[in-house]
Amino acid sequence: VNSSTTKQWYQRRVAITAGRQVPVQKSPRFYPTEDVKRPLTNRRKVKPTKLRSSIKPGTVLILLAGAHRGKRVIFLKQLPSGLLLVTGPYKINGVPLRRVDQAYVIATSTVVEIPAIANDKLTDAMFKRKAKPTKNEREMFIENTSEEPKISAERIALQKEVDAVVVPAVKKVEMLPSYLRSKFTLTKGQFPHQLKF
Amino acid sequence: MLYQRYIEIGRVCYIRLGEHAGKTCVVVDMVDQKHLLVDGPMSGVPRSTIRLNQVAITDLKIAIPRGCKTNKVRVELTKADISTKFAKTSLSKKAEAKKDKAGLGDFERFKLRVAKTT
Repeated sequence: VNSSTTKQWYQRRVAITAGRQVPVQKSPRFYPTEDVKRPLTNRRKVKPTKLRSSIKPGTVLILLAGAHRGKRVIFLKQLPSGLLLVTGPYKINGVPLRRVDQAYVIATSTVVEIPAIANDKLTDAMFKRKAKPTKNEREMFIENTSEEPKISAERIALQKEVDAVVVPAVKKVEMLPSYLRSKFTLTKGQFPHQLKF
Repeated sequence: MLYQRYIEIGRVCYIRLGEHAGKTCVVVDMVDQKHLLVDGPMSGVPRSTIRLNQVAITDLKIAIPRGCKTNKVRVELTKADISTKFAKTSLSKKAEAKKDKAGLGDFERFKLRVAKTT
């Protein structure tokens, strides 16, 4: 082979490769026999439930379900999970600091003026139910004889702290404490779709 | 006399049921045994036929000829000052009270209940 033609060929190759475009991601050399299913892209961002415009901090709500159905409570704030944080107050109607779903609540037009409660402990984690420790086969038949109290002291203290702010505000309004103590009922001739709350 | 008030031309009626419930109108003509032609230019009732059972008779009456035009009805209504006269009737007052009661909120209803029992 003539050295001059090799050199020319080499120079020509260099000129060609200098301007050459190579894909960074090359098409695969191997394809599976069946099409591999890929899940669709989900670009959804989770937001807390939209709070009804009729529900504001201090609004009196009527609980429609649960152990405290029919009771009227004070709305405090919406937690990041979307649930509403309410309080009886406990001394007035026995409803503690509790999470409640917006769908199971009627918002009345009565709003109590409460100063904004900025408490770090009022989060979802505080109210989440503690998972019971799972028992293995041997322990299943042994009764749980732990002396844990039903309601933690932390919760009781938090309740007292929050109600110390809410109760005086409630007592300022005439007849409001007795209103919160009473339960909501429907009497003859009353239909929820015709009532104004 | 068995009845004091009669359905007649010019009788002011209070509409109990239907689209124009709560408004007053004047009987302009009779269509058949169960229907009237009414008009209420001052109260916003268009000239239309209405069933007899939708309507309650009031004490008030104006003098108009049968089937007269809406403008004539309007003139006679203002001359007789029916709107102020109707506001004094017990029917109008009861309707107002019923409307107020329906507009009560939950707290107001509670206060009313307590006030009634004490």
